[in-house]
Amino acid sequence: MALLKPVSKIGFSGAAITRTSSLPRRLPTVIRMSAAATAKGSGGGKSKKAIKETLLAPRFYTTDFDEMEQLFNVEMNKNLNEAEFEALLQEFKTDYNQTHFVRNKEFKEAADEMQGPLRQIFVEFLERSCTAEFSGFLLYKELGRRLKKTNPVVAEIFSLMSRDEARHAGFLNKGLSDFNLALDLGFLTKARKYTFFKPKFIFYATYLSEKIGYWRYITIYRHLKANPEYQCYPIFKYFENWCQDENRHGDFFSALMKAQPQFLNDWKAKLWARFFCLSVYVTMYLNDTQRTAFYEGIGLDTKEFDMHVIIETNRTTARIFPAVLDVENPEFKRKLDRMADINSKIIAIGESDDIPLVKNLKRVPHIAALVSELLAAYLMKPIESGSVDIAELDPQLVY
Amino acid sequence: MSLIKSLGASAVINVPATVTTTTHHHHCTHSFPFPSSPHHFPKLNTTVNGVSRRTITSVRTAVADVNSSDTVEKETESNKTYHFVVANAKFMLDEEEHFQEQLFERARLFKERNMEQDFWLVIEPKFLDKFPNITKRLKRPAVALVSTNGTWIKFMKLRLDRVLLESFEAASIEEALASNPANLEFEKPDKWVAPYPKYEYGWWDTFLPPTTQTQTQQV
Repeated sequence: MALLKPVSKIGFSGAAITRTSSLPRRLPTVIRMSAAATAKGSGGGKSKKAIKETLLAPRFYTTDFDEMEQLFNVEMNKNLNEAEFEALLQEFKTDYNQTHFVRNKEFKEAADEMQGPLRQIFVEFLERSCTAEFSGFLLYKELGRRLKKTNPVVAEIFSLMSRDEARHAGFLNKGLSDFNLALDLGFLTKARKYTFFKPKFIFYATYLSEKIGYWRYITIYRHLKANPEYQCYPIFKYFENWCQDENRHGDFFSALMKAQPQFLNDWKAKLWARFFCLSVYVTMYLNDTQRTAFYEGIGLDTKEFDMHVIIETNRTTARIFPAVLDVENPEFKRKLDRMADINSKIIAIGESDDIPLVKNLKRVPHIAALVSELLAAYLMKPIESGSVDIAELDPQLVY
Repeated sequence: MSLIKSLGASAVINVPATVTTTTHHHHCTHSFPFPSSPHHFPKLNTTVNGVSRRTITSVRTAVADVNSSDTVEKETESNKTYHFVVANAKFMLDEEEHFQEQLFERARLFKERNMEQDFWLVIEPKFLDKFPNITKRLKRPAVALVSTNGTWIKFMKLRLDRVLLESFEAASIEEALASNPANLEFEKPDKWVAPYPKYEYGWWDTFLPPTTQTQTQQV
């Protein structure tokens, strides 16, 4: 899964990771996730922060593995396009990035040069990205293990994708070591809460997060290539090859969905497709507009960057989802901007000195406004879409 | 994953089934151009790794033929199956920028692993004449991604989606990749909102078959 992966990266600023403040900064610090910290401290009563985190912090996913096994049982599912999965398997075995993730001394030097708020922003960026990649690793690894018997090909692809995710997470974690920090991934595995998603929702969500991840990476990479004066940290130079992994992972979920046409071909599928598009896009937008310092730090206009990523991801997604949102309609962006404003107000209330009850009361109208914007965006006239392999959108389609 | 294993995987799939007798000959095909296309030869449209029942039969027949006569053996060495996906030039070269990245990524990989390039871009390929069902649905000029690696082309179909996939046999690489002259002009996008410049016109030159590169220059 991608760096800055929006689905698992939902979060208000500061919600992702807490650093135990008693530890001196300059010593290597093992970071444990805030959810875990909250769990430890839950005896002392639930804080506001805990509620925020369960809603919006980077997530670890789990799913119904028995249902997955049934879905990919070759004998039970005649739609499984074995040639397509074989082709994917070869592509993953090829392992384009086998020797790509090799660090050099630039990392440490860049980290040492980074001071003040920018340093803080980069640490957060690395932490969140590492967690996101790691969550992908855990999910794919488990799926690879569970599907071994029923569908060895699909299982092997999952295992090879978990190889990629582990590589990405490890690379990011090494980046953290330059800042004298490290994520305790073993601890994370045990202590994090896992969000349960039915298989079909895993497909929609992971497809989108892989593809949106690709578009985020490649946009940052190409922007920095054109504007090297903003190249303040060497990790971005790795993005071009790195994000091809994300793109391939997305292709695999595309093939998985094609093998399960019931997830793509009826009115319910269309409603879910729109729902997931909206959740992923809005999440990213709200998330990023709270972190403009990061994007501005590398010379990007946050909202322009996000809109570009949304439009491109939507265009890619239209190759498989039966319906997508009309994100190029200017009204869509206006709605996103209103949501971002409301979100800022909600956060400001949370950071105020009011007592919890007052905070909650003050939040109510804003949350209602946010929900109403979301609903309106959801109900905007969608665009019919899909793979040409599944439903010939138009038999007269010209290639 | 070990280096050897992955090398094996990518090398094996590049070898058409006929070459089971010798792995090296297919790299030299272009130096043995045989004028006639041996149509009697069984169709081999799947590569070793995507083994289907039909392929196994084909391989057996092929091997039998090879043993039966020297002439056929030579033809066999030069006769290869080429797989392709095709769409209009604008889609392939101008709109789908990730396609550029993929081709350069693959070229990099082949170079790193000392593998001979087995994929090309062909602008207005001559072989399209054999596929009326494709040409009637195709905007022109068209561009095909052609490879002797059918498994990879299958993957590229999944990636690009809005392309048509087929395969054909050709006696020589020149015959397989022959193209008609075409003039590629892409209108500049009305509004380019991406925070980076577009890939430059002509990025595809390095993937055109060498002969075509000369041809286009002459035109």
